Amino acid sequence: MNTASRLTFTLRLTSIAALLATLGLWLATGAHLGWTRTSKVIVRHDEITGIDFPVREKTFVAGVEILAAGTAFAAALAGTSLLSSRRRAVRA
Amino acid sequence: MNTTTLRTSLRLALILGSVSLVAASAAPQSFDFKDPKGVNNVHFKLDAPLESITGTATGITGTVAFDPAAPAVTTGRIVLDTKSLTVGNPVMGEHLHGAHWLDVAKYPTIAFDAEKLANVRVQGAQTLADVTGKLTVKGVTREITVPVTFTYLAGKLGARLGDDKIKGDLLVLRATFEINRSEFNIMPGQATDKVAENIVLSLAIAGAAPRS
Repeated sequence: MNTASRLTFTLRLTSIAALLATLGLWLATGAHLGWTRTSKVIVRHDEITGIDFPVREKTFVAGVEILAAGTAFAAALAGTSLLSSRRRAVRA
Repeated sequence: MNTTTLRTSLRLALILGSVSLVAASAAPQSFDFKDPKGVNNVHFKLDAPLESITGTATGITGTVAFDPAAPAVTTGRIVLDTKSLTVGNPVMGEHLHGAHWLDVAKYPTIAFDAEKLANVRVQGAQTLADVTGKLTVKGVTREITVPVTFTYLAGKLGARLGDDKIKGDLLVLRATFEINRSEFNIMPGQATDKVAENIVLSLAIAGAAPRS
């Protein structure tokens, strides 16, 4: 495998890895369809007053913008690899 | 001093004492809403066609003068620290606090001054009323009327603080109402597809009135 072929292969492999990693992260944190969240609210109950009150806890929930950015990055890598292989084909 | 003068003085002292006792028992209690337990909260929701935003705020202070025997004369002021307004997304939170939206650096508080009560109904320990007052948001003051439920919990302060030696009462206020952000100069008429014009506010707060 020459250098150009190795580059194309590496780009495609990285593209697939980026896509899978992004998708995996998004699914693992709950497939949230809104924006990314860095905290979540847990509702607790005060027995004496009867008030339900929120307690904010730190968490990470990947949103659609992370999914979009990861997919765009993977697509860019895949596109670059296609361009690279086409150039090689034209030269040959 | 003869007997008549002594009797008159005693009667006067008795009358004055009775009057001051009645006045003391009829005087409204002052409930402090600064909450060391962090329970007091305001929940807000903006439901726009493209986005639903929910958040909470806990930085609540203020005092309310409430007399369970005469709830109609309730007055008070509740203040919210705008920096305590939080949403789940940190970028959205920065926008919310920023100069375009709430501008918390310039307007650090949201305040409601209760002036009069109407339609007062007592249901057991609860008093329901329509409270009219002045709401100040982002420097704009408007008169609004809010349906409020007052729950008077006599002698419950010690139980809440986990120390039965502490004597005092609690007053819980609950209210849900809507305001229009354009009326308070919060980006009027802009980005309405993502940030709803109407903000639904749900308030649940408890104030304490210690007794010596």
